[in-house]
Amino acid sequence: MKKNHLIGILVIAVAIAVIISTYADSSTYADFRTAQKSDSELHVVGQLVKDKDLIYDPLTDANYFSFYMVDNNGVENKVVFIGSKPQDFERSEQIVLTGKMKGDEFHASKILMKCPSKYTEDEVEIIEVTANSNS
Amino acid sequence: MEIQFVGENLLPGNIGQFLVVLAFGTALLSTIAYYFSTTNTNELESNSWKNIARWSFRIHSFALIGIVAALFYIIYNHYFEYYYAWAHSSKELPTHYIISCFWEGQEGSFLLWGFWQLVIGNVLIRFAKSWESSVMTFVCLSQVFIMSMLIGIELLGQRIGSSPFILLRDAVEGPVFSRPDYLAFITDGNGLNPLLQNYWMVIHPPTLFFGFAAMIVPFAYALAGVWTQRYKEWIQPALPWALIAVMVLGTGIIMGSFWAYEALNFGGFWAWDPVENASIIPWLILIAAVHVMIAYRSTGHSYFTTLFLVYISFISVLYASFLTRSGVLGEASVHSFTDLGMSGQLIFYILAFLIIGIFLFVKHWKNFPITEKDEQTYSREFWLFIGALIMTISCLQVLASTSIPVYNAIFGTNIAPPTDPIQHYNKWQLPIAVLIMLVSGFSQYLKFKNTDSRKFYISIAIPAVLAIFITAGFVYITGVYENLMYIVLVYASTFSILTNVKIMGEAFKGNFKLAGSAVAHIGFAIMLVGALVAASQSEAISLNTAGVDFGKDFDAKNKRENILLWKDEPVQMERYMVTYLGDSTSGPNIFYKVNYKEYDKNGKLKDEFNLFPNAQINPKMGLIASPDTRHYMLHDVYTHVTSVPKKEVHSPDDGHDHDGNEGYLDPVDYTIAVGDTIRFKDGRIVLLGTNTNVPLRDLTLAPGDFALGLIMQVNMFSGEQYTLEPVLVSKGGTEFSLPKVEDAIGLRLNFSQIFPETKSYKVMVQFKEPDPQDYIIMKAIVFPYINLLWGGTIIMVIGFILAIFRRSKELKTTL
Repeated sequence: MKKNHLIGILVIAVAIAVIISTYADSSTYADFRTAQKSDSELHVVGQLVKDKDLIYDPLTDANYFSFYMVDNNGVENKVVFIGSKPQDFERSEQIVLTGKMKGDEFHASKILMKCPSKYTEDEVEIIEVTANSNS
Repeated sequence: MEIQFVGENLLPGNIGQFLVVLAFGTALLSTIAYYFSTTNTNELESNSWKNIARWSFRIHSFALIGIVAALFYIIYNHYFEYYYAWAHSSKELPTHYIISCFWEGQEGSFLLWGFWQLVIGNVLIRFAKSWESSVMTFVCLSQVFIMSMLIGIELLGQRIGSSPFILLRDAVEGPVFSRPDYLAFITDGNGLNPLLQNYWMVIHPPTLFFGFAAMIVPFAYALAGVWTQRYKEWIQPALPWALIAVMVLGTGIIMGSFWAYEALNFGGFWAWDPVENASIIPWLILIAAVHVMIAYRSTGHSYFTTLFLVYISFISVLYASFLTRSGVLGEASVHSFTDLGMSGQLIFYILAFLIIGIFLFVKHWKNFPITEKDEQTYSREFWLFIGALIMTISCLQVLASTSIPVYNAIFGTNIAPPTDPIQHYNKWQLPIAVLIMLVSGFSQYLKFKNTDSRKFYISIAIPAVLAIFITAGFVYITGVYENLMYIVLVYASTFSILTNVKIMGEAFKGNFKLAGSAVAHIGFAIMLVGALVAASQSEAISLNTAGVDFGKDFDAKNKRENILLWKDEPVQMERYMVTYLGDSTSGPNIFYKVNYKEYDKNGKLKDEFNLFPNAQINPKMGLIASPDTRHYMLHDVYTHVTSVPKKEVHSPDDGHDHDGNEGYLDPVDYTIAVGDTIRFKDGRIVLLGTNTNVPLRDLTLAPGDFALGLIMQVNMFSGEQYTLEPVLVSKGGTEFSLPKVEDAIGLRLNFSQIFPETKSYKVMVQFKEPDPQDYIIMKAIVFPYINLLWGGTIIMVIGFILAIFRRSKELKTTL
């Protein structure tokens, strides 16, 4: 009996570790103001500011894309993405960014955008783009 | 007032809808009849219940096949009055992709699942003998739930299921649907998601769903065993089924990852996406279950673990389908289905099977043949149990993190998934993989019951030491030494391969029975090493050194992997000289021709190949880029475009005058006869002959009229060959020409005059202006040793097949 009890305790310990690790690695949905105070990567949800400059000039740099996004609390911020501009980015109606603040700029490592479907209003589609992978 | 709609084909839909209701009803009747056949102690009555159940299931089979046929008929004939055909197909799709349209939607994929469950049910009726009634009760109950997803009727104000036969005008609102002739405006369907227009998407879903469907069988045997108080006997017949499910599901999962690698542009084969995780969890649990099933069968240990894992394996299938189908993943995954409002039904499906299991376990708990004895440490059954436990922990970790959106839905929290999922999962799964490899290696030298520990250590010493040298060599060649854990995993896998190779060698000498597990273990180990090397050593060679400098800090983390390639301007990328040579259009796809050249030290051309990564400018989804990959024995070169300049779309080769000279240089006139050659910068054009029988699309020629084509062959210096046939038509005394255009080389030929006396012809040759904006932005990645991953998978599947043969043979001798 002894050995099986030991194994049981070990499994429970690992299970607890799994839960802690999940919680520790999980991120939060935040706004730009919280991101300003935080050092870790987090998710910011918002919309593209359509009347501000959207910079992607592959002729000078194919890996630099910047735009302005307003978060759900109405705070506007410049976003920089090291990678190419996702096609039809202008059409997006909601954006989820993963990344962190670098000075005044938000550096995104991943952009997830929701676009209105062309055909049916009730369906939305989601497109995800990741910045150049870091192996 | 009812509107009389014009041109609708309502018959197939009506038949289909009727069959859906029939299939649901007969599945329900089968369940009830099988239930009474099992519980009835009177043999005569029990048999008559069984007969009812069988007949009902036969009718159910015909009805379900009828549903499949009706839906396929609708999609194949482009009846866009049906929502499903409109939403998932279009006219231009070739037939083999029409098959993919069938399961693009949730309804179709439920239908596929139901279809496989039906096939399995019929096999059980034929072969399960004394187990038929009790096992089929559960299979039929599952079938009832799946059919309920397709019914699409309202009951007490609640819509149950979603019918694939719903009409477009009922599903979508719009003013056009108040017109009786609305169908005239619905000229084409929404089309199939371009990412799914891939060969692998034709065979991956049926394989995967067969695996999921087969998982009900071991589950049904386990519960039937408890229910009919045959607590031990169920394991024997359930084992081959569990192996079949594991084999097919594993194949299906790896097909999916091969599809992701070949057709998607995320640059890899596994990304720990929730949808991928949802498919691997049931697989791992069932593999764990198979191991303890064998332990229990041979020694009587681990009874409850066996029962519990088999039970939870099918529950995890249901949970996985809830995750991917209920829309709960929402922002967490790009691949899940959209919500059809069936979450409630899916939860009910899970709860029903969960509760039946718990009820049976609690009721029969006292009778379970659980041994009080501890296993010996040096025994195979103990380590089979430990192995199963480790795999369960692996699942638990994947499950805990994948379910984050579910916690949010239940507790109203707002937790986001890990920002770097790959790192998060690998942190756990790497050490777990090491443990699994070690256990799968040394436990091959353990016997059931007890083993002489001295002998055991002596026999594992040789492979353990040998593995050190092989690991050192392998790690040196492949370069996986930046992380200690990688080296440890390579060592553990090598150790496992060596020990299992020894067992396999013995098996071929006589003890053939053990070959299955040894081969499967070898395959799995090779697969892990392949995945490790390919994923950790994959290297973007398209590194961009130009552009804005962000400082070291930023660059270290984000490599600048997109590179701009001007047309015809070679760029050196590591060992390759890469040139973008231009694009060509085929159907909805634009193919970008990218040339790779490799030179040796003396500047001699060693290797050359072209890749054609393509992009589809989809009106619905924007740019859909698909990679193209050059496969070598030891590495792959993978390329896809990430951005392309927007180009004017014009319809090529429409047979009539292109307006003016837009984009073309001034024409040059040549007067040539048959056999003459026109030279130009990149090649030669030869007039091969004339054609008096030109097919004319919308012209009819009267006597005296004529149409003459010139068969002109273009031979490019680079080796390509094109044939163009410009035509001159004379109709009613007026002459006009039909020029021909070859977009790939930007050439336009216009046949403008005939000189009958010299038998020569005047041809205008025009070239396109070089496009100043012709470039692509692309990414190129080298994946080393990825063939180990695919090869290992094939070996593993072969191992499963051997094991299935062995276990089903045992079954025949004992039944």
